[in-house]
Amino acid sequence: MTTGIELRDLRKKYDGHGGGAGAWAVDGVDMQIGRGQFVTLLGPSGCGKTTTLRMIAGFETPSSGEILRDGVDITDQPVTDREMRMVFQDFALFPNMSVAENVAFGLKTRRMKGRFDAAQIRRKVGEYLDLVRLGSHADKRPHQLSGGQKQRVALARALITDPEVVLFDEPLGSLDAHLRKVMQVELIRLHRELGKTFIYVTHDQDEAMAMSDAIAVMNAGKVQQFGTPREIYDRPTSRYVAGFIGHAHIVEATVADSGSSGMVVRLANGETVRLADPANVAKGASVGLMLRAEDLSLARPGEGELHGEVADSLYRGEYVEYVVELKGGAGTVHVHEPTDLEPFAHGAAVALKVNPQKAHVVGGAA
Amino acid sequence: MRAFGNRPFVISLASAVLLFLYAPLIVIVIFSFNDSDYTGLPFNGVTLRWYAELLSDSKILGSIWNSVYVGLGVVVLSVTFGLPAAIALERYEFPGKGLFRRIVMLPIVLPGIITGVALLSFYLTLHLRLSLHTIMLGQGTALMCITITEVFARLQQMGKSQSEAAVNLGANEWEVFRHVTLPGIKSSLFGAMLIAFSISFDEIAVTFLLTGRENTLPMTLWSLLRREVTPEVNAASTLIIAVSVILIVIGMYASRGKGAAGNGAH
Amino acid sequence: MTQATLTGAGAAPGLVLRSARRIERRRMLMWLIPPIAWFTVFMLVPYGLLFYYSLGHAEDMRFVPGLSLANFVKVFTAEPYLGVILKSARIGLMTAVFSAIIAWPLAFALAFHTRSAATKFAIYLMVIVPWWASYLVKAYAWKTILGTNGILNATLQGLGLTNEPVRLFLYNEFSVVLTLTYIFTPFAVLSIYAQLERVPTSMIEAAKNLGAGGWEIFRRIVLPISIPGVIAGGVITFSLAFGDFVAPVLVGGSDSLMISNIVINLLGVAFDWPMAAAIGLVIITLGLGLISLTGWLEEKTQVRL
Repeated sequence: MTTGIELRDLRKKYDGHGGGAGAWAVDGVDMQIGRGQFVTLLGPSGCGKTTTLRMIAGFETPSSGEILRDGVDITDQPVTDREMRMVFQDFALFPNMSVAENVAFGLKTRRMKGRFDAAQIRRKVGEYLDLVRLGSHADKRPHQLSGGQKQRVALARALITDPEVVLFDEPLGSLDAHLRKVMQVELIRLHRELGKTFIYVTHDQDEAMAMSDAIAVMNAGKVQQFGTPREIYDRPTSRYVAGFIGHAHIVEATVADSGSSGMVVRLANGETVRLADPANVAKGASVGLMLRAEDLSLARPGEGELHGEVADSLYRGEYVEYVVELKGGAGTVHVHEPTDLEPFAHGAAVALKVNPQKAHVVGGAA
Repeated sequence: MRAFGNRPFVISLASAVLLFLYAPLIVIVIFSFNDSDYTGLPFNGVTLRWYAELLSDSKILGSIWNSVYVGLGVVVLSVTFGLPAAIALERYEFPGKGLFRRIVMLPIVLPGIITGVALLSFYLTLHLRLSLHTIMLGQGTALMCITITEVFARLQQMGKSQSEAAVNLGANEWEVFRHVTLPGIKSSLFGAMLIAFSISFDEIAVTFLLTGRENTLPMTLWSLLRREVTPEVNAASTLIIAVSVILIVIGMYASRGKGAAGNGAH
Repeated sequence: MTQATLTGAGAAPGLVLRSARRIERRRMLMWLIPPIAWFTVFMLVPYGLLFYYSLGHAEDMRFVPGLSLANFVKVFTAEPYLGVILKSARIGLMTAVFSAIIAWPLAFALAFHTRSAATKFAIYLMVIVPWWASYLVKAYAWKTILGTNGILNATLQGLGLTNEPVRLFLYNEFSVVLTLTYIFTPFAVLSIYAQLERVPTSMIEAAKNLGAGGWEIFRRIVLPISIPGVIAGGVITFSLAFGDFVAPVLVGGSDSLMISNIVINLLGVAFDWPMAAAIGLVIITLGLGLISLTGWLEEKTQVRL
């Protein structure tokens, strides 16, 4: 019997308007989320991540497929029974209640009758408000709070009932950049302290990478790749994931040589790149060569494997971003260089040194 | 800036329209003080006797009470059956939903007389005696769509988040209704109740065929207007206008805090 | 395997899995059944009864049940029925159109030319008052104004434009349309205003910024956005005016009898219940059609903002 949450071939279709065929919002999702893990569903709008989360919570009924929890099929279980508390993107605080009353809500329902007396509830409310650092705001009304404060109330409200699983639907989406970073640290801390299963939905890849034990990159209703942040970043298994995460460019190439110690790929312009990655691809196969901006460095012509011309340079504060056109129209790449380096002029001929440990190939032809 | 077009031109036309709206009412008010036995010119002098006669007319006073009674009953019925309808329409899909929606809205486009005819034949078939209660049932049916429309619009505006959060926290259906739904629709519900009561108070078309021995105010006025014997009618009209003005101003200021101004309700 | 012990705080031990599907359906019925029961009893059943009555005929003040559609045929072919229905429709249409035309300037000023929120609120209030003033009072007011002793005649005589009272103003179709138009103008103002308010200020400002003149803004932005709602409001005005029986009695004459008056007569002196029922059903069917038509029209022409 597996512990944690398992999704089996989950699908969800919405009816189209006026009798036309609807779209498959979730198109066959399989996933295993272990107990106590912090798993993020990452993808652009419309990829199905929120729909999947809502099916796990019970707000949507799957068109087909199962949701299992510790081996038990809970697909038809009512939301009320699941005890998987959700933190909503628009906070969903009850405007007619105070902060304390909002937080206490989950403890005062009929199904919780008799478990806590009034004094215990008050104590717990104080405890959880302190946990999210809102102790002094207990009697305020939601409309008197800032966005970040509201989100923390929503968090306290969800956590106070001590659920095993906490679901997050893009909770930091409406907060400003600085606050978002602060809250991310808070969430990591809470996850570590409380040891619960966190299932998180976001379109922000930096957020996903920073917080998660595992990420499911989703697109068009399907999971493109499921793995640790490092795996997703360094070893994407598809062009989509490679292009979605980080600053990467895919350059077309063919496999010139491949063996147990690595491979060599040849670009359209004839130049070759050596990779330490012994991927199982046949000689002569077409692949996409993933070159991340931070894994390339510029050098004088002749001092690197690839050659090209500087088309543009953008000052990014942390680094300078060079746009380099490869020789012979083989492709375009971006290179990040430290800002204190001797700048390369517009139109200058350059060589590119490729880090063989980091270079990576992804599937077939474009 | 929102304005465009020729401002003086628009303003003068608008003023003319406002004048058009108020002129007849002002005429009535003026003539309610006319010391003449006929409704109309010449204007003889100011008198309050028509008001005195009006206020001592027991038939009119009695029908005012009847109208209040019917109005309250209509409000209770609209809320009791209209609120569940609005919730069901907003939340669920069910076979025949389109038909149900059309049937609910139908009384708005039907002449009140027709609604009255249908119900009258219903009552007569059941050998029910016509009374204030038959009026109440008829008006309730016709005015239910007001409550349904207002509450439905408010529910849509509220969105699902809060009720989803409540259910997610373990609340059952009643708890969601009590802590989330009801507080959220309170202002719309109250507004709908006020509108339903006001319309019921002035309603004559549906009432016309369903009235028994007890008359509502519009029915009493109707017989008064048909006879057109004394200018008591003008006094009655003026008082009705005055009461409407007071109630409207109170109602508008009360709901203003909820951002009612600018929502063109009909 | 459906027996499960749900772990985690808050769950009672040994709980059996409940079915969301069944619970949701039960809840839906809980909300649906009372209103459906009401509408069945107080609308569907009465309409069914009307149908039953309409199939029979009246003989010597008694109802004789039957199975014939003769009454319906009469509605569409015999006088006065067809003529009165068409006349009522004509009066209804004129009322809707005229009230809309008169209402436009005021609605427009309210939506676009009020400089402060307080002014807007005050004028809004001023429009609502005539709307809520009693229906009967408003109809009666015109009777007073248009009559031989009324204000209009007095003014004309006073100004020396006529020597004796003009009888033309009252007791004809003109006075009915005038009265009904007056009664529904406030509603038209509110309904048109609601539509005009929907036009975002930023859109108007953008149009001005691009060099559009007042008329152009009106024609290409304001009109398309507001027209569907205006038409919806017009449909309601049309229906209410169509079914009115007050105005024809108070200010109308023998040439301006409307369908509701006919129905009342049929139920009273004439005692032709089956005919009244038939007319009722025809109008009910037309009403259902009208609702469907407006719904479809609104979906097709509605500009989603």
